[in-house]
Amino acid sequence: MSNEALYQERFQRIKKVINLEPVERVPVVYMGSAFAPRYMGMSIAKYCADPNASLRVNLQAIDRLGGFDGVNMTAGGRITVILTALWMSRLGVPGRDLPADSLWQVKEAEVMTVEDYDTILKVGWGKFVNGYMPRVISRWEFLSAMMWMGFNGNRIQKEYRKRGYVVVSNALVFAGLPFEYLCGGRSMQRFYMDLYRIPDKVQAVMDVMLEEFLGQIAKAPTPTGIGGAWLGGWRAASALLAPRFWDRFVWPYVVKLADAMIARGITPVLHWDQDWTRDLERLKELPAKKCILNPDGLTDMKKFKRVAADRMAMMGDIPASLLAAGAPDDVRKYVREQVELFEGRGLILCPGCDAPINAKPENMQAFVDAAHEYGTVG
Amino acid sequence: MDEQLKQSLSDLDEGTVLRLVQQRLDAGDDPLSILAACREGMAQVGKRYESGEYFVSDLIMAGEIFKEARALVGARFKTDGGPKRGKVVIGTVQGDIHDIGKDIVVSLLSAGNYDVMDLGVDVPPVRFVEAARQSGATVVGLSGLLTISYDAMKATVAALEAASLRPRVRVMIGGGTVTEQVRALVGADAMGKDAQAAVTLCDKWI
Repeated sequence: MSNEALYQERFQRIKKVINLEPVERVPVVYMGSAFAPRYMGMSIAKYCADPNASLRVNLQAIDRLGGFDGVNMTAGGRITVILTALWMSRLGVPGRDLPADSLWQVKEAEVMTVEDYDTILKVGWGKFVNGYMPRVISRWEFLSAMMWMGFNGNRIQKEYRKRGYVVVSNALVFAGLPFEYLCGGRSMQRFYMDLYRIPDKVQAVMDVMLEEFLGQIAKAPTPTGIGGAWLGGWRAASALLAPRFWDRFVWPYVVKLADAMIARGITPVLHWDQDWTRDLERLKELPAKKCILNPDGLTDMKKFKRVAADRMAMMGDIPASLLAAGAPDDVRKYVREQVELFEGRGLILCPGCDAPINAKPENMQAFVDAAHEYGTVG
Repeated sequence: MDEQLKQSLSDLDEGTVLRLVQQRLDAGDDPLSILAACREGMAQVGKRYESGEYFVSDLIMAGEIFKEARALVGARFKTDGGPKRGKVVIGTVQGDIHDIGKDIVVSLLSAGNYDVMDLGVDVPPVRFVEAARQSGATVVGLSGLLTISYDAMKATVAALEAASLRPRVRVMIGGGTVTEQVRALVGADAMGKDAQAAVTLCDKWI
């Protein structure tokens, strides 16, 4: 079978899962930024510095493991720059700030100030970010990385398709939860205290951000392929936030952003790290068969199956700790239990969040093999 | 007034807590009894967290209010808060620079009247050994957010054993991805699924 025919077969399989239709085999997708270079013997410093190398080594890792239908998100580009923009924080970069073969890390600090809230209210989010970024990254580093992404975005997608891999989160839209941008910039401790001390101002800032994000979504290119886009949350998780804050600062923004994405033909991928179990019922408020929940192993999937699996598919959620500290049999057992729980429907198997740098190769292999063994229906 | 102060802290009412502390200081009340009331409020916060009424954001806010109250008392009286319940050494292990979870644990243990030696982040095993030996601490807390922290946790436990500090020193681990499987792998005595669990473990062990 040609790679294009493989792509089409896999594309239809994943589409069916999103539509909660039966499939002959549960699809399995890759996600593992730092695992790929470690697995393929490339230094993390090179992976971070060379966007072409990062793309190449990810494709090589996926090919070597074999059996994947696709990927959650593409590699390519400078991961530390992308994460800086996502977290509004400085990053420790391997080869520059950290040993060459160590993992990049976010430097938690209060970079965004309370006074910055007033600036955002005055000039808007986009303009504020232009002035803010030099606090966390050099202007040249940021612009050159973004330009590379702009010039190579389409080529990256084609590289995956050429090999028969479907990219789930491939829509070109840059909008996320206002909560996470502010929490990253302010630091978790400071931002959480802002919610108690100056909630009205925080909400006003979030509303300004939301309007801009909705405008960006409306102008986003018409998606092709699966057309997924991350609507990610980590520090906005239910286990971390008191309900009165979650109800005010998280969920209304999830709904508005998800609705806008869906109206544009985009599939929101709720990339939710940490534990969101408490609020899973709220997923029923989102349109059916239009979103994908993408948890990391900490959210209770039995509850999700009970309360919301008739509304959306789940892409996940093999825990990072299991891939790093477990044995192949543990991984196989986890995969089997997930397939049984979901009865083979509405499930895309994927590492939770991201296969970690020290995931054991034999565990990653067990993950793919078990997906094929247990995921085949009938 | 003790009851009101305790309740205000338990309710995370920052303004009232600080006003009451200031009033009592102005009235010449014993600073240790003021701090004791605040600690009781923190204990209530812990109970409300364990019962599911409170969440991590509430623990962070409670820790901040306690810190502010203690600063008010400290500005007026030089006090170390009276006799401590025990000594705990804590740090984020080598190779990991995340400190949010560790800082919440430090805040809660301090409020719980433990003498906490915070070694910071990216702490090599030898520093945990030195700190445990020199301080006489009976509990060492190892924190790590990333899965790469497992090896460093394991090396730290091994270093404590090699220095003959085990089993006198008990080791607890915590962090985003830590599980019972990870605890077994690194050889720790216990793992805490959240910051409050660290307090519960110390209350049990010390």
